[in-house]
Amino acid sequence: MHQLITNLKLFWQGAALSYVALFSWLRPTTFLASMIIFPLGQILFFTLLGIFATGRDSASFYLIGNAMQITASAGIFGVTMAIGGERWAGTLMYLFGAPANRLTIFAGRATIHIFNGVVQVLMGLAWGLVLGWVSFAHTDPLALGITILIATFSTAALGLLLGCLGLVTLNIMFINNLVYFLLLLFSGANLPITALPQWMQYISWSLPLTRGIAAARFIVDGASLAEVAPLLVGEFFIGVGYLVAGYVLFRIFEIEAKRRGTLEAF
Amino acid sequence: MFCSDEFIRPPRGTIEAMSFIARYYAPSIFMRCGCDAKRRMANFLMNNAIQVTNLRRVYKSYVGVFRRKLKEVEAVKGISFEVAAGELFGILGPNGAGKTTTVKMLTTLLLPTSGTATILGHDVVRDVSALRPRIGFIFGGERGLYWRLSGMDNLKYFSSLYQIDPAVQAKRIPYLLELVGLKERANEKVEGYSRGMKQRLHIARTLLNDPEVMFLDEPSIGLDPVAARDIRRVVRDLRDEKKTILLTTHYMFEADELCKRIAVINKGEIVALDTPANLKRVVQDLSVVELEVKMFTPDALERLKGLPFVDAVTVQEREQNSLVIVQSPRGAEAVSELLAQLNGATVQKVTVREPTLEDAYVRLVEGMDETKKEGAGSK
Repeated sequence: MHQLITNLKLFWQGAALSYVALFSWLRPTTFLASMIIFPLGQILFFTLLGIFATGRDSASFYLIGNAMQITASAGIFGVTMAIGGERWAGTLMYLFGAPANRLTIFAGRATIHIFNGVVQVLMGLAWGLVLGWVSFAHTDPLALGITILIATFSTAALGLLLGCLGLVTLNIMFINNLVYFLLLLFSGANLPITALPQWMQYISWSLPLTRGIAAARFIVDGASLAEVAPLLVGEFFIGVGYLVAGYVLFRIFEIEAKRRGTLEAF
Repeated sequence: MFCSDEFIRPPRGTIEAMSFIARYYAPSIFMRCGCDAKRRMANFLMNNAIQVTNLRRVYKSYVGVFRRKLKEVEAVKGISFEVAAGELFGILGPNGAGKTTTVKMLTTLLLPTSGTATILGHDVVRDVSALRPRIGFIFGGERGLYWRLSGMDNLKYFSSLYQIDPAVQAKRIPYLLELVGLKERANEKVEGYSRGMKQRLHIARTLLNDPEVMFLDEPSIGLDPVAARDIRRVVRDLRDEKKTILLTTHYMFEADELCKRIAVINKGEIVALDTPANLKRVVQDLSVVELEVKMFTPDALERLKGLPFVDAVTVQEREQNSLVIVQSPRGAEAVSELLAQLNGATVQKVTVREPTLEDAYVRLVEGMDETKKEGAGSK
């Protein structure tokens, strides 16, 4: 038991300090803006555009979709910086030379960003409530909370995979932006998945968020946790898939760097 | 290669003979067996913390876009040496000599192309997980710390990477901060630290896991004299605590002051391995003439090198002038002929002095280069 508590303390210490260390644009004002203003901006833009295109009745569709999609901001940009930032800090050699469990390091980097992502989604939904574009009268808050958590986890797992690319490329911000906007298109945040061509639908269902957004819409409309369980299980395993892929890539990069002598080139 | 005769002196008396057999023959039998446990036993018998045998590393890269051509650089060419437990061993060499590549291989960060290396009996390729908690390392320069964190938080974070119990951290981190003289500024962000402070924090980081073997790769590089002196003080304290330390540097006085033995490495090969005192004997037949010259030209350098009694010439560029260091067996007698080669230049000061380790180093490194040139020329 003592060992478990010690390990949990060490995990939390590593997660918290790496968050502060590597989320390098984190200043109080920037942080608050990313938590409050950024969700408002995205929601205003897409919901107003949706209302203009399809009418006032579809406001909640756009609001929920975009509030959920905002988690990609923390999940992709934040997590990518938490992994790829090692390259800029010049700490990769010390990280790879340490005996720490690689999966612990890897997963630890996403922990606080998942929390950030949840806060951003809640902020987005709160803005929707304030603006009168959504009602939670029939919503099971626990089911919605679990849905947000799972969707945020799966998005952060995609961020971990992209973060590994950040270890070997200088253009990770380009890739991040591209993925963020692809999620806007493919996740169903702004277009019903069924409205997409068939081949695009395959892409949609292979990405995180798609099932999470669909589940969130059902729950806000009054569905129970059991009713959306298949969507949430799918979302969770999509996240696990990206997490495993990211971890494998992380290990491959580590081993290849040792073999080819490119650690300092990262 | 130069070797101290201390290691090949025949044993005297029965006990010493038995000890000799245990130290020299038993290890070699165990070594030949090849298995890890026996290799560890061999190193234990020899009391070696570091054992490097024919270590070699080749970097491969491709040049060109369409017609990609494989380029191979042999950074380390089959070097062998051993470091006894508690010894401070130096590796001296110019930039690109293979010092950092060697350290990277020994710290499990780079795979050797061939050869073996064991640290505390653990193979650096196969026993990585057992080895890493027992060693510590730093690479010179400012990078490798989290600048947005305080010195204290940096140490806490690296402690978590080394799985150090928080209760142990609470005692060890303040102690280490005091050891490296950063106690007063422990809670300030590293981005505000001077280069010397960052380097001292690196040393504290290296000591977090109380390593038995430490690798310090050019720890004082780029530091001002005061900061470099502070680093040497810390290294000296660690040496006195009987830590096994492998120190790479290209500052001769640093190696001379700190190291028990020194390997001089050049172009991936060890050209000499001995105590500082014995290495200096390489130049005991020479004197050194230092000339402070204004307007020193490459032509004058070539003329000096061409003199038959000149062994080696190095030039250090300074703000106001050039310091020309000439090694010659003729010492003061050579001064007038040296000055004659500097026509047109203004000689501000001439000093004749005894050779130092730096002069030995220059002779060893330049001597190797000259030998290679002659070898290539005769082909």
